[in-house]
Amino acid sequence: MRASAAETLPRAFTILVTATAVLAPLSLILYQSLLNAPFFDARKAIGLDAYRFIFADPDFWQAFKNSGLIAGGMTLIAVPLGGLLAFVMERTDLSGRGWIEPLLLVPSFVSPMVLSFGYVVAAGPVGFYSVWSRELFGGAPWGIYSILAMTVIAGLTHVPNVYVYASAALKNLGSDVEEAARVAGASPFRVAFSVSLPLIMPSLLFSGVLVFFLGFELFGLPLVLGDPEGILVLSTYLFKLTNKLGTPSYHLMAAVAVCIVAVTFPLVLLQRQLLKGSRKYASIKGKSGRMRELPLGGWKWLAGGVIGAWIFVSVLVPLSGIALRAFVTNWGEGVRLAEVLTLDNFRSVWEEPTMMRGIWNTILIGVVGGLLTVACYTAIGFATHRRNDGWSRFVDYLVLVPRAVPGLLAGLAFLWVFLFFPPLRPLRSTLFSGWLAYSVVWLAYGMRLISSSLLQVSPELEEAARSAGAPRWRVSRDVTLPLIRYGLLGSWLLVFMIFEREYSTAVYLLAPGTEVIGAQLVSLWQGGAIDLVAALSLVNVVLVAVGLGIALRFGVRLRD
Amino acid sequence: MLKNKIAALAAATVSSIALAQIPAGYPADYAQTIAAANKEGKVVIYSALDTKAAQPLIKDFSALYPNVKVEYNDMNSTEIYNRFIAEQASGQGGADVVWSSAMDLQVKLVDDGHAMTYASPELKAMPSWAVYRNQAYGTTFEPAVFIYNKRLVTGNDIPQDHAAFAKILASESAKFKGKVTTYDVEKSGVGFMFVVQDAKYFPQMDELIKGFGATQYRVYSSTGNMLEKTSSGEHLLGYNVLGPYAFTRAKKDAGLGVVMPKDFVLVLSRVIFIGKGAKDPDAAKLWVDYILSQRGQKILANESQLFAIREDIPGEHTAGALKKLYGDALKPIPVSPEIVTYLDPKKRLEFLGHWKQMIQAGAGK
Repeated sequence: MRASAAETLPRAFTILVTATAVLAPLSLILYQSLLNAPFFDARKAIGLDAYRFIFADPDFWQAFKNSGLIAGGMTLIAVPLGGLLAFVMERTDLSGRGWIEPLLLVPSFVSPMVLSFGYVVAAGPVGFYSVWSRELFGGAPWGIYSILAMTVIAGLTHVPNVYVYASAALKNLGSDVEEAARVAGASPFRVAFSVSLPLIMPSLLFSGVLVFFLGFELFGLPLVLGDPEGILVLSTYLFKLTNKLGTPSYHLMAAVAVCIVAVTFPLVLLQRQLLKGSRKYASIKGKSGRMRELPLGGWKWLAGGVIGAWIFVSVLVPLSGIALRAFVTNWGEGVRLAEVLTLDNFRSVWEEPTMMRGIWNTILIGVVGGLLTVACYTAIGFATHRRNDGWSRFVDYLVLVPRAVPGLLAGLAFLWVFLFFPPLRPLRSTLFSGWLAYSVVWLAYGMRLISSSLLQVSPELEEAARSAGAPRWRVSRDVTLPLIRYGLLGSWLLVFMIFEREYSTAVYLLAPGTEVIGAQLVSLWQGGAIDLVAALSLVNVVLVAVGLGIALRFGVRLRD
Repeated sequence: MLKNKIAALAAATVSSIALAQIPAGYPADYAQTIAAANKEGKVVIYSALDTKAAQPLIKDFSALYPNVKVEYNDMNSTEIYNRFIAEQASGQGGADVVWSSAMDLQVKLVDDGHAMTYASPELKAMPSWAVYRNQAYGTTFEPAVFIYNKRLVTGNDIPQDHAAFAKILASESAKFKGKVTTYDVEKSGVGFMFVVQDAKYFPQMDELIKGFGATQYRVYSSTGNMLEKTSSGEHLLGYNVLGPYAFTRAKKDAGLGVVMPKDFVLVLSRVIFIGKGAKDPDAAKLWVDYILSQRGQKILANESQLFAIREDIPGEHTAGALKKLYGDALKPIPVSPEIVTYLDPKKRLEFLGHWKQMIQAGAGK
């Protein structure tokens, strides 16, 4: 069937816009890495000095090694655990899933810096769990300032990222195969590992690669837990380069970013290799049976225990740290809690109009901006759906790369694009600029959710419509789109949550009136008002969690 | 004819309204600045002081000049620098006023020709070290202090001067292992500037650095972390902490103690200048003059929790009050070309190299 111009034009346009949005900041970074001064400086010269400098710096190699360890380790923790949680939540009859789900998502919308600080208050050397443990058992056999601790915390707090992908994929899976396994006598966990999870392999692989990418980009966590001890990772090394030479050295920062891209890029190739023949994963077929929940029986204690333990370590511990901090004037070794309780921190937050505005702005960007973003991602998804040509492959590579660039530098690159690319100049001081920056860096994130939903739509459904004479756009609108609606809703939720905590990419594009909570937290933190940081974060967490709970219960029906 | 009359009448009305607002002691032609600022309608400020602390200043300024809207952007000092130079290079001005605690970066921006020359009417009330080429002005008087945990550190373990700090670290390195904190000189521009100045006034600086090494000191890029962890007892002593933040915190927090070193106290001054090519130059002048004025400085000292640089205003948080208590021990860092010496990468790396060497020597490596 030959495609008409009316069919190819929208596709060409979508791909062109995507490529521009991704490649403009990236090529600017590449160019900058090959200079010896800011690219807008008249004294610049082309050369490899930047690479020479970082390769000769032992700190760089140390940071590189640590980043690799942490990213690898956290992927190994997050993927199996996230997949398992998704299975229990989506496919079994475990009770209380309604209220567990919002809890599962908490770590993904709390600023990582605040979350890490929660660990310091709760489980640090003089944290209150540590103090209690010493009083009760004579010791606190854990430490939070080590590579191992950072890997475990990063792994556990990235479980939601895997969970959202895996659960979206599981929702679309007919339960007939699981029932067959169950009837043959397999235990629920056997079903999970031998049947359900292998069937959603594309989603798990995507999320594995993504978590690995995020591991390289990790900033807030190593800044709070690794920095004081001198444990560097690539993004904190990049942060160090900003001031090490006195004035920010963009060429060095850019060279580090290029190295990260160079290391993570082969992963995309690998992932594509593994997913060849993705047709075998198509699971929404013409005749799909109703989905039925798997009875857990006695296994529910184990499932409940795993979920409970995870929630305790990755949600309750840090959140209780933040909550405690929000209600006291000070804390620590030798402090009697009853004497330091206060509500002043919350009063300050209420009295400060910019803080509440920050919260609402952030929610607005997450909800409205998130919706627009999902619409754009869906358009890109359709541009590559069912087309195995070079353009589709190009887009596949394209979407993952931006997230490999640490936020500190990505933010700067977007400022440069809006300043030095004349057609965009008028848009710089509008919300559009921040929204575009967010959408580009999280492209991989939302896109993969949509494309893995698309993968699960069996071609015969679309082919049926095509044979009935429907043009491609009608097939997409009337057949494919309705079938992936859960994937889209999940994607919106996910995008909302990451927008909720993101700020570094937009820090140079923000203006008064559009302040977001992430940026406010950092500037308060800088000035020492950590009590307000805690109170503001807690208010934010509660607001978003309540919103999420309502959305999950009534509006967004993730589970039919 | 009639047109001219109306225009003249309008001008007279405008100037009489403006006249009513001219701050006492300002030249009469200030009315034109105010009128022009009203026409501009806004002033865009990039500042390293967080919005919450700046709010009282913004409110009072708005009461004084209700037609000038304050667009206040709070960013850290590195972000201010990054954003400002990129905007200047692209010719897409953004900031009218740049106000930052990174004194060295601010002076560099002035040296690189990014500041507008403006002799403020408040000039005569300013100390000479805080005025640079009539382009940049120091606005605050923020001492660098020691902090300690009040519950866990007592008596002679509380350092009263720099020599005592060095001595405590050397003689009790086991007790203070992992419990001493200061800015990361590689990551924090302010922290770096402080230790360079320290070396000027404190000949045994190397001993102190070795003490940091011996106790495996912990470093941060933000003041918040140091205050929080010293108050909690995770750390016990903090060196060179920015005073206003420490005093503000200590007021609410019974666990945190603050020491003004007896031998000398470094004083940082937030530097303000008007950007060259500012879109709202007159509104910018109003803001700068306001910050330097008695009225602005009073708010700055009493409500924004900073320390006023002017000596002619009452209150605890002022240069005048500090001078009465500490006299010549106060060593303000001058707003001058001297402080940009170490922005030269070669010199800076040399200094950092020496720092690292001393740390390792102290750690016994």
